Amino acid sequence: MAKEIAAPLAGRVFQLKIKAGDTVEADEEILVIEAMKMETPVFVPWDGTIRDVMVKEGDQVAEDDILAIIDEE
Amino acid sequence: MRPYFEEMTQFGCALKKGRIKGTEENFNSIKKIEKDVADEVNRVKLAGFPEEKINARGQMTVWQRLEYLVDPGTWCPLHTLYNPMNNVEGTTNVIDGVGKISGKWAVIIGFDNKVMAGAWLPGQSENILRVTDLSKRLNIPLVWLVNCSGAKLTEQEKFYANRRGAGTPFFRHAELEQLGIPVLAGIYGTNPAGGGYQSISPTILFAHKDCNIAVGGVGIVSGMAPKGEFNLEAAEEIIEKAKQFRAKPPGSVNIHHDETGFFRYVFEDETDVLDGLKDYMKDMPAYHPKFYRVAEPKEPRFSIDDLYRLIPLNPKRVYDFDEVLSRLVDSSEHMEFRPDYGPEVYAGLCKIDGFLVACIGNRQEYLGRNYPEYADYPAMGGKLYRQGLIKMNEFVTFCGRDRIPIVWLQDSSGLDVGDAAEKAELLGLAQGLVYSIQQTDIPMMLLLLRKGTASAHYLMGGPTANRHNAFTLGTVASEIYVMHGETAAVATYSRRLVKEKEAGRPLEPIIEKMNKLAKDYHEKSRPLFCAKNGLIDEIVPLCDLRKYLVAFTGAAYQNPKSICPQHHMILPRIIKG
Repeated sequence: MAKEIAAPLAGRVFQLKIKAGDTVEADEEILVIEAMKMETPVFVPWDGTIRDVMVKEGDQVAEDDILAIIDEE
Repeated sequence: MRPYFEEMTQFGCALKKGRIKGTEENFNSIKKIEKDVADEVNRVKLAGFPEEKINARGQMTVWQRLEYLVDPGTWCPLHTLYNPMNNVEGTTNVIDGVGKISGKWAVIIGFDNKVMAGAWLPGQSENILRVTDLSKRLNIPLVWLVNCSGAKLTEQEKFYANRRGAGTPFFRHAELEQLGIPVLAGIYGTNPAGGGYQSISPTILFAHKDCNIAVGGVGIVSGMAPKGEFNLEAAEEIIEKAKQFRAKPPGSVNIHHDETGFFRYVFEDETDVLDGLKDYMKDMPAYHPKFYRVAEPKEPRFSIDDLYRLIPLNPKRVYDFDEVLSRLVDSSEHMEFRPDYGPEVYAGLCKIDGFLVACIGNRQEYLGRNYPEYADYPAMGGKLYRQGLIKMNEFVTFCGRDRIPIVWLQDSSGLDVGDAAEKAELLGLAQGLVYSIQQTDIPMMLLLLRKGTASAHYLMGGPTANRHNAFTLGTVASEIYVMHGETAAVATYSRRLVKEKEAGRPLEPIIEKMNKLAKDYHEKSRPLFCAKNGLIDEIVPLCDLRKYLVAFTGAAYQNPKSICPQHHMILPRIIKG
């Protein structure tokens, strides 16, 4: 089942660690958002496969923007 | 109060495979730096003569004495790397920490007899005063292993006199005795002058047969009556007197056991002295833990090694504070105080080794778009805002009322700033927290997980709260500074930049200075710098943190100066509602 990963806060995509087709494991860090001088990692809650990545490094994102879609295993 | 404390709310989650995979680098980096710190500690242990040489003289080293004296597994060293005056010896020449002797917690300190036969060195009295303060704060005995050859005479101007000089510990010993806190001393070797007072100022003296204590030793007795200069005749006279006194130094056990009776006991073997101390420690005033335990001691539900994956070495990286705490407290259980208020601050009751403790820490994450309520900008954890300060004031006040020791877990970049923050009364609430802490008179300790910055380092139970703070522990991720180095560079040079720009002069020289200042800040905030200068009392490997929490809590409850019956406590009721 496809599930969306949303931005927990507004900021700049500082590091992107995934691409479409990657398999990920529960609690794996998929990207980092930089905001307010701090780096907030975003973790994927489930095992799965990355279906789509909606952002690239350097993008500004708003809170709750969709960052990636994952097919949960 | 069994329904409150026997089983509290569980918190924390087991690490999942994705997190474990993604934190290998952090895990290995922390382990590597901890190894570097351990190498520094080892350098202190190896200072002076080698162990074999001391043993060949029929003596044990201070480290061997400590190992024999302290109950296995309980030693929590402090101030190992403390060397604020940058002594070439690499140490203040006293070794100290908290440990159990015969099942009772004590503060323990000994002269390093490998280094100049345990001489006074610069910075040593500051070290000793930290130790006497600790004994006073925790109301537990101070145990000395005296073996002090007196002052390093070539540097006496750095430590002999002054308000906190080498004689101040003698007054502190007297102060502890006034407070009913015994100071025991095992005495070895030659202890003239300052060493004599180190020996005589404790409460009960346990002497080794070969020790001596004296107002003045061989060097002084043979060199008294100054003549204005030295010449050949004077030198011959000194040689003769020195030979005479070396054969029979003043203040041996014949004098101070048989004649004065200063030594309550004299022992044949070095280990017998330590056995004497152990025997007395059995009878030290101490409540059985059952008096104050609120539940059976239990280990956390998760491995403490998880901390190597949960605490990022990168100071900009946010993490989940609650997960960290769950690795440190009994059963990973707690009762959180006002979880819906002041979200940047964790405050809650936890158990350590079955004893009730209060924990206060900085949550790190983004705090949601509606926080802080007084401003139109978003808030990030690590900073303190109005609600968090109010929450800490309330919690600390209740802890004082209920006589619950506090463990602060600090990782803060400071307070919110700007006019909105001023209107929200942050300055007054911050000093209000200082007042609240001062009101409590309960033992506190600080674990500096990462950042100790700006006034938050003071407010959150830092070492500046030195009537309350028993000790401050750092990790290899700790850093302490008034502000980040780059912030300081901007604060220092921003006007100068404007001036140079307006004058049409090149900016590069100022930029160079700014970079230098930022670099200096970085170097002077590292854990080793902090430990050497006493900003923290020890750098502790993450895997040993709980051991120190157990020592602090056990010591705080061993013989507390005031108590609150569990069924009279108000804080658990307030949390329950």
